[in-house]
Amino acid sequence: MKDKQFWIGAGIVIALLMVYYLIGHPFFLSNRTVMLFAILLFSGTLIYYTRLAESGESFFLRDIPGLKAVEEAVGRSTEMGKQVLYVPGIMDMDQVETVAGVIVLGHVAKMTARYETPLNVPVSRAIVMKAGREACRESYLMEGRPDLFQDDMVHYLTDDQFAYAAGVNGIMVREEPAACLYMGKFYAESLILAETGNSIGAIQIAGTASQSQIPFFVTACDYTLIGEEFFAASAYLSQKPELLGGIKGQDMLKAMIVGVILIGSALRVFHDFGWISWDFVNFLTVQ
Amino acid sequence: MFWKRTIPIAIVATVGFLTLFGWFVDEPHIKNFVEDDATQWYDILASFAIFLGALNLLKMQSQKILKKQTGWQYSIFAVGGFIFAIIAGFVIKGNDAIQWGAHVTGKGTLFKWMFEFMFTPLSATMFALLAFFVASASYRAFRIRNFEATLLLISGIIIMLGRVPIGIKISAWFVLYLTILGIGVVVNNAFKNKQITLGFVVGGLLLTTIAGFWMGWPVDQPALFYLPILQDWIYNIPNVAGARAIMMGIGLGIFATSMRYILGIEKSYIGE
Repeated sequence: MKDKQFWIGAGIVIALLMVYYLIGHPFFLSNRTVMLFAILLFSGTLIYYTRLAESGESFFLRDIPGLKAVEEAVGRSTEMGKQVLYVPGIMDMDQVETVAGVIVLGHVAKMTARYETPLNVPVSRAIVMKAGREACRESYLMEGRPDLFQDDMVHYLTDDQFAYAAGVNGIMVREEPAACLYMGKFYAESLILAETGNSIGAIQIAGTASQSQIPFFVTACDYTLIGEEFFAASAYLSQKPELLGGIKGQDMLKAMIVGVILIGSALRVFHDFGWISWDFVNFLTVQ
Repeated sequence: MFWKRTIPIAIVATVGFLTLFGWFVDEPHIKNFVEDDATQWYDILASFAIFLGALNLLKMQSQKILKKQTGWQYSIFAVGGFIFAIIAGFVIKGNDAIQWGAHVTGKGTLFKWMFEFMFTPLSATMFALLAFFVASASYRAFRIRNFEATLLLISGIIIMLGRVPIGIKISAWFVLYLTILGIGVVVNNAFKNKQITLGFVVGGLLLTTIAGFWMGWPVDQPALFYLPILQDWIYNIPNVAGARAIMMGIGLGIFATSMRYILGIEKSYIGE
């Protein structure tokens, strides 16, 4: 109960929802009530921990080797006098992974600006090109090196999956970057890219939430950010309290989910044995 | 500051909340916006943005050719292919019987020819590379370096053998004998005593043989050591458990990232 403002706000939201429910909840799809409450609970937890972090509370963040290695990879490229290749996936900005990839690109661009290392970002979508350019431009500006920024460091190749893979492979083989970073949404081209990067001896770091591509990246890359680690990258690299608070909130949510799984399993067993008539799994199932 | 900071955050928050809570509301206007309008706006925006991409591609490749940078010869193919695709799409149909527009899928047109005899084989070639890369990646993953890699190798072999016809023919007793020998290696490493290892291995083999004679050596019994059943268990229980844990983490990550955007906590998209 540290944050009075938060609890007052939460109380108002609950009161408004109750009023809405009591007046007959017009337009509301009642079969999605559980989902609505889950979203409100999840959002509330994230906001609470974000506010807690902003008020000065410090949180422990475990080391993520893949993220620690990003600076190491940029440093290696600087020492070798070679470029850093950054691939933000093959999907458009309507995918959260691409958005996360562009955010991480901003942090990587800050490092390349600091170390004066060339950065090469081939993209497969024109909107990602524009977003990536803005992210890089701001990073170079913030590091006080706008003179090093060039629009063409983020350049468009093609929308087609395998043509894009061929284009990026060509860049890798011809220009031999010292570091290859893959952060975004990937499909079958993931292994083609990562194995080519491996063959040129580049240090490789991948981050994706594409579940079927994670094993390929784990096999071919030096470091892989698996799922949620990838989404935590922005908080980890920026060390901003409001973002770190969100990570803590996520951990608390995970603990809640584990609790629900355990209780749900027990309730389901009781239901199957006929000890209780209430089917908890059916109750949770999104309609 | 107002135009570059406040307005973008307000747009993201409004559209975000509308999309999120629109899912819970049965109101036709909101439903239309969430399911049709918003995605159509995005498609229109993306269609116009492709011009930026195409111009950027042409500029980069042309510069490479003019300045004769490393690998400029490849850029000739890129620019040539680009021009050829535009000609095939907008200038030469190649088959007068087919209307403009339908010519991209119609038989006997230049565009269709380009698609069938240039684009498709090139894409297939890139896709086929995957087979070789899977082999080299598997070799690296299956090398016995530590306990986890060994576990991966054994699971991989069981799943591969259990899913091919020869796996059905391999007797569970043969797998059981191999398991006893494998455990014998572990016992030897743990106790470093030849007598204990010998006792375990000989005892295990003897017991298995007696059990085999007693049960009449059925191929699929004991079921725990029958490869098709064993691979099914590995695939559906430990594998699914791990995959679901990762999936939950991904779901939470996506949710948290989206909420950070909607609530204006994450502002890196406006350069903060």
